[in-house]
Amino acid sequence: MPFHPHAQPNFRNLVIHPMWMTLKAALRTIPYIGSHKWLAGHRDSPSYHAQEAVMIDETTAKRVGADHHSVGQIYAADRETSSVVPYLERPVTVMYPYERLEDLEPWLFVPGNYNGRIGVIWETCTACKACVRACPNGCLHMTSEKRVNVLELAEDDDEWHGYGEELEVGGLAARRNEVDNSEHDIFNAHDAVAQEYDFGSIIDISGDMATVRWDGGEMEEVASSDLIPAEEDIVSGRIDIGRCMFCGLCMEACPFESFFMTNEYDGMTGYDRSELWFDADRTRVLPALHQERVDGELAKRAEKEQRKRAKKAERAEKAAKAEA
Amino acid sequence: MGDWLNVRGWVGDISFFVSDNTVGMSRFWEYKYAVAGLMTEVLMATIVFATMMLTMLAIPWIERKFIARLMDRRGATTSLRSLWVGEGGHHADWYDNVPFGLGKPIRWLNKFLNEKVGNASDIHSVNRVKDRGYHGIWFLIPGLFQAFADFTKFASKEWIVPAKADRFMFEVAPFIIIASTVMIFAFIPFGPHIWAANSDMSLLFMMAIFGIAPLGVFFAGWASNNKYTLLGGIRSVAQLTAYEIPLLITVLSVAILSGSLNILEIVDFQLTSGTWNIFLLPLGGALFLITMIAEVERIPFDMPEAEAELVEGWWTEYGGMRWGLLFAAEYMRSYAACLLFAIFFLGGWETPFADIFGLLGSNQDLILGGIAIGLIGLAFILRNVLPALAAPLPILFLTILPGLVWMLLKAWLLFTVFVWIRASLHRIRTDQILEFGWRWLLPLSIVNLAIATWLRLFVWNGSEWPLAIPALITAITLVLFIILGIDEDKSQIQGRERPYSIQSDSPASTRTDR
Repeated sequence: MPFHPHAQPNFRNLVIHPMWMTLKAALRTIPYIGSHKWLAGHRDSPSYHAQEAVMIDETTAKRVGADHHSVGQIYAADRETSSVVPYLERPVTVMYPYERLEDLEPWLFVPGNYNGRIGVIWETCTACKACVRACPNGCLHMTSEKRVNVLELAEDDDEWHGYGEELEVGGLAARRNEVDNSEHDIFNAHDAVAQEYDFGSIIDISGDMATVRWDGGEMEEVASSDLIPAEEDIVSGRIDIGRCMFCGLCMEACPFESFFMTNEYDGMTGYDRSELWFDADRTRVLPALHQERVDGELAKRAEKEQRKRAKKAERAEKAAKAEA
Repeated sequence: MGDWLNVRGWVGDISFFVSDNTVGMSRFWEYKYAVAGLMTEVLMATIVFATMMLTMLAIPWIERKFIARLMDRRGATTSLRSLWVGEGGHHADWYDNVPFGLGKPIRWLNKFLNEKVGNASDIHSVNRVKDRGYHGIWFLIPGLFQAFADFTKFASKEWIVPAKADRFMFEVAPFIIIASTVMIFAFIPFGPHIWAANSDMSLLFMMAIFGIAPLGVFFAGWASNNKYTLLGGIRSVAQLTAYEIPLLITVLSVAILSGSLNILEIVDFQLTSGTWNIFLLPLGGALFLITMIAEVERIPFDMPEAEAELVEGWWTEYGGMRWGLLFAAEYMRSYAACLLFAIFFLGGWETPFADIFGLLGSNQDLILGGIAIGLIGLAFILRNVLPALAAPLPILFLTILPGLVWMLLKAWLLFTVFVWIRASLHRIRTDQILEFGWRWLLPLSIVNLAIATWLRLFVWNGSEWPLAIPALITAITLVLFIILGIDEDKSQIQGRERPYSIQSDSPASTRTDR
């Protein structure tokens, strides 16, 4: 037989049985009548539709405490009952945002790997823009700026002198140019302040000379003493959460464990699309929430700093020896 | 016909009193009967229309509430209460701003209701839902007024005509549909004394006017200049040919059985002949139900609308109040179908088992009704002293209900059947309804006509049906129904069980009994 007997297009299967099933469903919603074995039963389990499942099992009860308001309540998948009227149905709709499921039913929680609102630990962000490149929807926007390392600019007898970056191959470098901003009218001028440094990346260092590719594109060999170490600093990081599809590729792209998809599902609403533009303060994740990862990142950087200082001390020692 | 709710008599008396004392006093006194008659007809038309509109409030309510039950979904049954009285101690305060303290009574009432029916419970899980879930008889009240909210919404919406629509036809089509729908009710009696017009050919007129709306649907579908609406309109006309002919033949069988084309006489025939037509023509009842569902374009015959395939079918381009009115017209047609079924097959306004209740039925006059009310009051007062007196109370109470109540109850019950069908069956395909109409409904309706003719010619003795005949017909129908209902090949089902249980008390993979 090509058909299952219940797929035969006869009167019983097309009309009577569907109507019988819906009628039983309707009768089951009526208090007291609905829990009758004849209606609530199922071929395999006589009390399928009227089973009394206890809302909180023993393990959970131990965790939340015996005085929790849900202890002793009867729970069924799509309706709840009370001890006063045991078969009373009412909607179990949660009136979010006035009520939240996690508050009402504390044994439920949002899974940790849920891709929710984007969170960034800005403290450890290095503005590498890996996330921006990874985003398929183009919802991440980051502006960064090249700046000279101010610690390197410090005077020789200054407390912080020598703690800045060093010139290294692959790093950034700056050179003071001829621009003079002393006449710039900061209060009335409409144009931006001109950049007082030329920036470029160091291709090679040999002896006192460094090969630099300036941002304009030309290569030049410059004396290292003319160069100041520079770095790329983040100016603003904005996220158009309205375009985000929560794929999490940005999180995977981040090499510094600064970028997270949190498991929070709210706080992403607004009366206007412009309110879905998240500035840094709306994506900030406090380091305390991811302390382990932040600690790891900071340890990595501390180690680098230590290595640098050791190297510097060694070099200073060598120089002193040479002088002597 | 001694129904105490003699609306037509009262209106006629008032009209004649007014006419007699105005026109009758003037030199046009000879026209006073004509004026009184005109007044009566106008007032009765108004009363019937008002009755229809007010009692139709129950129709969308049944639709929403009953389908919520059928779909095992309770949200629709809890509504509006918080709008009225607020939650806990919190409620609206607009009445505090009414000048001179005129809003005070509303505040007191609100406070009272808030305390009495506002939801507060010691059980946290009950209290938490506040007014969203309500337990008690009051669940009946919320939701009835949704229709007014809907009206407000529709009325305040913009009226948009598509740029490339045929504007004239687009505007006229709703009027064709709505006007012809309202005209149906001109001949539908809501009781023995609540009707607007009583023509000898009322049945013919009504079936004719019922068939106009699909034409308006086709106009609307064509004029909207949209492929979905056009398809909807074409489908409407296509299915019109399939069900209209069986419908008319079925109605004809009722007319033949009752010996009249007058709707009032058809009901009177059922009252006096000893049984309802459904027990004589169960096949006719089934055919009328099916073809009427097709006529009012409800599931499973709602192909012209078919929101799964055709957006909203021929409705697609209508919005705002036009859409609301078309929707109201749709429900009016369903309501009219239910009322007509009650009239043709369920004895109209007759009390069920009136013969068994004996003395009164619903056909008592005002004096007998007064006596019955007095008896009920007496029995109620003495119910503690003489409990035996209270035993016949419910039956006594039933007997004083006017025919209007029974009429409405039957119609509403039939509408629940419409809703039940809607929740259970699938929308059928265009070719399926054509095949069903031409190859099943049409031959069956002719068989039904033959049965009706045979009954009228050879069984009807001129005054009463021999009760063996309806009993026999009903028994045969029930047996047929049961045979068709258990029509499943049990031997084929054996061995076709699923290898796993899809419904179980226990979590997956813990069952050991299979």
